[in-house]
Amino acid sequence: MTVFQGDEAVDVVYQTTITAIGEQVPAFLEHGILILFADDAPEELHSISVLHTADIRLHGPRAGDVVQIGDAEFQVLAAGHVVEENLLNLGHVDFKADGHTEPKLPGDVCVPKGALPTTPEVGQVLRILRPAER
Amino acid sequence: MPEYKSVTIAKGRGGWGGPLKVTPSDDKPYIYSVTGGGIHPVAQRIADLTGGTPFDGFKSSKPFDQIAVAVIDCGGTARVGVYPMKKVLTVDVHATSPAGPLANFITEELFVSGVKPENVSNE
Repeated sequence: MTVFQGDEAVDVVYQTTITAIGEQVPAFLEHGILILFADDAPEELHSISVLHTADIRLHGPRAGDVVQIGDAEFQVLAAGHVVEENLLNLGHVDFKADGHTEPKLPGDVCVPKGALPTTPEVGQVLRILRPAER
Repeated sequence: MPEYKSVTIAKGRGGWGGPLKVTPSDDKPYIYSVTGGGIHPVAQRIADLTGGTPFDGFKSSKPFDQIAVAVIDCGGTARVGVYPMKKVLTVDVHATSPAGPLANFITEELFVSGVKPENVSNE
């Protein structure tokens, strides 16, 4: 799906709606970490995760993409080599506001320091946007 | 009554922790694959060699105290900590080391990473 951000055409490579917020999510955000899992993930993962149900699942995030959560947005600086497999199979992603351009761990999605929004809300839509191929 | 055997699970290339000795029992029969896409080959090998019962964490659930070992494919932050925190023996098929807010729960006695099927043996 291609949408317009101002004058620029972007592809929506992943789109999902937030269905629940685990009670430990604010504590992880204080460490600059935001964890997502699909809402059919095992129960023991729910407390640390933002759960969601996706309707567009084309690609995982990569450097240069923009992530929108509700009205907030942030840039992707780097993504490890298991990120796409995790997201497409499990709805799982670890966003880390560490400012790195090389991921420290294979599951990391690195974003600028301080870029993650406050705790998301149920019903908000998360999108991963990629500049459209010309 | 099934007969259970022990396996030793060693870290793989670039991995961390272990080796773990896993012996299922009638009280703890389950080999838990939390990997998506069905039973991971490492979980299947552990089940084949021990006589334990594999199950897919994305399809059903079992109480933690019935899990002999959990097999994960975690890239480093969430699942690597959750199962050790519950004192469940944990095998990561990716070569990760302890990191993240749950890192202090991850010990060499509970966790081994970088594991491939050939790192699981009856030795």
